[in-house]
Amino acid sequence: MEIQTLLLALPLVFAVACGDDGSPANHDAPIVVDAGVDAPLDASCFTNPTTYNEIINACTTAQKIYKDSHPPLLNPDGSLPALP
Amino acid sequence: MTRFLVTGALVLALAVPRSASAADCDTLNLGTIVYAQVGDTQSQLMKRLGRALRGNLAKPITLVWRTSPSCVNIDQIFLQTPIPAATVMQYVADATTDPAWSPMTQNLTCTVPTGGVIPDVANSALFNSSCPNGVTTPAHVRAVNGGTQAYVLAVPEASTQTAITFEEAYFVFGFGTAGMVTPWVDEAQMYIRALTTSTLLAWAANITVPGPKWKGAQQTGTNGSQLVVSMLAGSTAPQSAIGILGAEVYDNERSRLNVLAYRAKGQYAAYYPDSTATSRDKKNVRDGHYTVWSPTVWMDRISGTTPLNANARYIVDLLTSADGITPAPNFDMLATIAAVGLVPVCAMGVQRSFEGGPLSLFTPPQSCTCKFESHVDATTCASCGPAQPCTTGVCRAGYCEVQ
Repeated sequence: MEIQTLLLALPLVFAVACGDDGSPANHDAPIVVDAGVDAPLDASCFTNPTTYNEIINACTTAQKIYKDSHPPLLNPDGSLPALP
Repeated sequence: MTRFLVTGALVLALAVPRSASAADCDTLNLGTIVYAQVGDTQSQLMKRLGRALRGNLAKPITLVWRTSPSCVNIDQIFLQTPIPAATVMQYVADATTDPAWSPMTQNLTCTVPTGGVIPDVANSALFNSSCPNGVTTPAHVRAVNGGTQAYVLAVPEASTQTAITFEEAYFVFGFGTAGMVTPWVDEAQMYIRALTTSTLLAWAANITVPGPKWKGAQQTGTNGSQLVVSMLAGSTAPQSAIGILGAEVYDNERSRLNVLAYRAKGQYAAYYPDSTATSRDKKNVRDGHYTVWSPTVWMDRISGTTPLNANARYIVDLLTSADGITPAPNFDMLATIAAVGLVPVCAMGVQRSFEGGPLSLFTPPQSCTCKFESHVDATTCASCGPAQPCTTGVCRAGYCEVQ
């Protein structure tokens, strides 16, 4: 139970710390944790994005939805199986 | 199955303009006509632009169009294939004929004259290179990118689903029922489009499921998007229903559908095209948090570098340029584009070079971000004018743009 609570709280902590300039008016929007399950651990964001991965994970005031996802057919290493 | 057929027939009856009394377009005193063939995601844009052009005092034009899949439109203008005679086309009334017109007003119809017409303007709502014959633009066609079009995964209003990940979408549409991604496990409730449509091809590139591999109930015809809308809205299994749509189609159906936030591969959170589920600012499209989008491409015919039809070029320029159009229109084109959920290039902060390709930062030469935001949201940009110069940036259209 404690681990689950921690997993839920971690992204919130990261996200609250994540803002464009740290001013109160620019804090990130409220976060929705979908389905109430565990959320991704790495919820940090990038303040001056330049690469693709930084752009899609840049700090933003937009609404975020963290969704835990474990599709049953996902390979053990997280890769996708070939299409049928 | 019978229910689907009845529903589909009803939708078609409502969506397709009346054509029984359609007359030859050339006999209706429509003035200067420009024929266009566009994706059905552009229907709202055609309505609004068509109305504005009819009242454009410096250059009145009657925009007459039909909708068909993007790859078909590319073929049509690349191969210079005429739209057959008697084909039913759509247009809107001018202010004298119908002063009470609104975008909800049913379109008027006329038919292509004898001999057929090659479209003066053609549109695709994706990178042309995504279509089998679209890789190389022939010398007789000029293609320019216009407003950015987002694509969404939509669910019925009654669905409680709020988000989907790249991996989930891969299994839902690539494996169907066998993908076992609850609640989307019923292929009859997965509403997809034809393989030649921008909506399917854009999603295909983004979730790495090639078009021919897609599972689901394909909605075809010239009003495929509206069929998807109606099937979703009328679904008796709303939790398992899901469909693909252009964002501007969804934007017009928000009372009946919900959009799913999408988490791209490698992304930490899922995002809506807009900054929230209920806003219309396309902020996440503009800054790269929402990754499923394509340019709209506008094409006209040329001889060398000269447009074959100056009026067609005028329309393409309106759809693809920020300003400097001659003669200046008597309507706000950026407002028209923003109203239908497209993002003009001058308001984009990211770019890509092929369908589903990686995003990189983009700074438009003449930004219109402030002006765009003023239409879709409250902009935080400073106002400016002749007596109120900008402290920083450039004064354009009443706002201090970055450059």
